Amino acid sequence: MAGIYENAVKVARRTMTLFFLVDTSGSMDGSKIGTLNSAVEEVIPEIYKLSSDNADAAIKIAVLEFSNGARWITPAPMDAADFRWNHLNADGLTDFGEMCKMLNEKLSRKAFMSDVAGSFAPAIFLLSDGEPTDEYQKELGRLKENNWFKKAIKVAVAIGDDANKDVLAEFTGNKEAVITVHTPEALTKMIRFVSVTASQIGSKSSGVGKGGVDQATNKQNDTIEAIKTTVAEDPVGGVEIANTPVSSENQEDWDW
Amino acid sequence: MAEYYPKGYKIPLANGSYAEIIQKLGEGGQGVVYRVAIGGKEYALKWYHKGAVQNPKKFYQNLENNVNKGAPTKAFLWPLYLTQPVDGSFGYIMELRPKNYREFSDFLLAKVHFQSLSSAVNAALNITNGFRELHRNGFSYQDLNDGNFFIDPTNGDVLICDNDNVAPYGESLGIAGKARYMAPEVVRNLKRPDVMTDRFSLAVVLFRLLFLDHPLEGKRVVEAPCLTEELELKYYGKDPIFIYDPTDDSNRPVRGVHSNAIKFWPLYPQFIQNKFITALSKDAMTGKTTRMTDNDWQLAFTRLRDTIITCPCGSETFINVAGDANCVNCGKKIPKPPVLNCHNHKYGLALFPGVKMYRCHIDKDSDDFTQVIGEVERNPKNPAMWGLRNVSDIVWNVETLDGTLKPIAKGQIAPITAIKAIHFPNSIGIIEYSK
Ligand SMILES: [Zn+2]
Repeated sequence: MAGIYENAVKVARRTMTLFFLVDTSGSMDGSKIGTLNSAVEEVIPEIYKLSSDNADAAIKIAVLEFSNGARWITPAPMDAADFRWNHLNADGLTDFGEMCKMLNEKLSRKAFMSDVAGSFAPAIFLLSDGEPTDEYQKELGRLKENNWFKKAIKVAVAIGDDANKDVLAEFTGNKEAVITVHTPEALTKMIRFVSVTASQIGSKSSGVGKGGVDQATNKQNDTIEAIKTTVAEDPVGGVEIANTPVSSENQEDWDW
Repeated sequence: MAEYYPKGYKIPLANGSYAEIIQKLGEGGQGVVYRVAIGGKEYALKWYHKGAVQNPKKFYQNLENNVNKGAPTKAFLWPLYLTQPVDGSFGYIMELRPKNYREFSDFLLAKVHFQSLSSAVNAALNITNGFRELHRNGFSYQDLNDGNFFIDPTNGDVLICDNDNVAPYGESLGIAGKARYMAPEVVRNLKRPDVMTDRFSLAVVLFRLLFLDHPLEGKRVVEAPCLTEELELKYYGKDPIFIYDPTDDSNRPVRGVHSNAIKFWPLYPQFIQNKFITALSKDAMTGKTTRMTDNDWQLAFTRLRDTIITCPCGSETFINVAGDANCVNCGKKIPKPPVLNCHNHKYGLALFPGVKMYRCHIDKDSDDFTQVIGEVERNPKNPAMWGLRNVSDIVWNVETLDGTLKPIAKGQIAPITAIKAIHFPNSIGIIEYSK
């Protein structure tokens, strides 16, 4: 005879959306976009596991690519369980401003942030190797007024030295949230590490025990802290963060 | 970026032997858990990520201290041995978790269900008792949350894990817990975790265990579109409101969202609801009144278990010691069965087939809810006749309705309708019939 607890349903969970904003301009063509495609594809099962074992929040995934204009790959945030990564191709310009505009439109309770059980602030992961080719300032300015964006965990990975790190820092609001990678190995590692860490921190009830009395913690800072610790101890290298010494002397390996 | 130890890798232990890696079992924020072999027997090794512990030296010493003191009860997956500090980090050895235990979060995520009402109540009783014994041994837990428990869904047996955060009273390991489970004063950073804050976390855990929702998350929390760190500080720290606070209905559960609370809360007897109302009152949360003690909870859940019987429909349900009740499953009226009033109404045991009597019922100085002393059985020849069998070594003196005393030794049965009272060595149990 079934007990009454057979009728229990899954607890109401908030949603935390992990956004991948991917530069698919022509300069990304070749091993950059190839490495990126494989790395994201490989991390999705880990994100799915984080979500399915998580009693605090479900993790969803949204993908926006930008080159000539910008396009949502996911029409709405998708459950990590249902999400399959479609390999992106790289071609065209870097319409960074258009990307900001499209992101801004969807960061709204009327659009992507509409879960009935509520949301946690999203985690936004930007990957780029270049320089905006459009007039991006106005759209970035607008995006930065969006409350969802303000509260989001924002991390950018600059792929190689041609990336405009100042623009990325403007986007994340923090120089230390911009990680430069110099090798395919470093890119792969950072995609995995940032996706997992930002998802973990973003999808859990916030940590306590740090900061002052009645001072809210800050998930963005917690994420940066975790990334810095990891980069500082990483034996492989090819990764660089503002104010953190480069983690490897092995820099002649840089192939980008 | 964690690198994992390969199979066969040997990690030296503080006691001079070594643990050989068999396989990686899992990974959390703090570290990796491996299956290892030590001298031919298999154990679990928790290995910390480098930099995962704030003050490694103090943490290591505290673990050493816990290893030496030993587990408070067998419900704890306690650190048994420490490794030597190697490769810039360290770990500890514990028993492997048997497969019949499932993570608490799996119950919350409805991947597994309690098989019965009594398995849920037993789990509450076992968790409460674990913390009571931990606190009695001079420890506080500090980081109680849904990741700390493994539960057997069939019987409610509990394993308490992550005991590396356990520290003696007054010691703080700088543990940063999750806002949803920490006491308001810890969320606000007014205080470090200690026994008092453990008590709050215990109330949250017990609520989640029985009602499978969160006691502070109702209407107002759902209405916040984005649960920012600032709002978490408010809802769990500065201004928490219990979803069933009788003095404030602003945070009631929402239909379609908090379905479990809405379904399971009304099934539990008033006296249990009242315990949660007291434990999660504004005064108790803000520290104006003292918090429910582990003892209060243990007594409450022991009393609750006394009232669980099996309805003819096959489902377990609660009886009402004060009158009739309705089955939680089929809704049929359950007339009050005879009740054994122990220690002047401290316990009221439903004398219904299948119900067990424990040491705490017959010994006024004991709170042992595990040692079975007696059982109510049906007469195999006449199932309408119920008897109480003595399964203990203690001889009972049953006072029959006509006032004579009859000794009942181990294995013997007294027909319930013939009993007026039972004289135990240091107490008397009196039978109450419904009117
Ligand atoms: Zn029934």
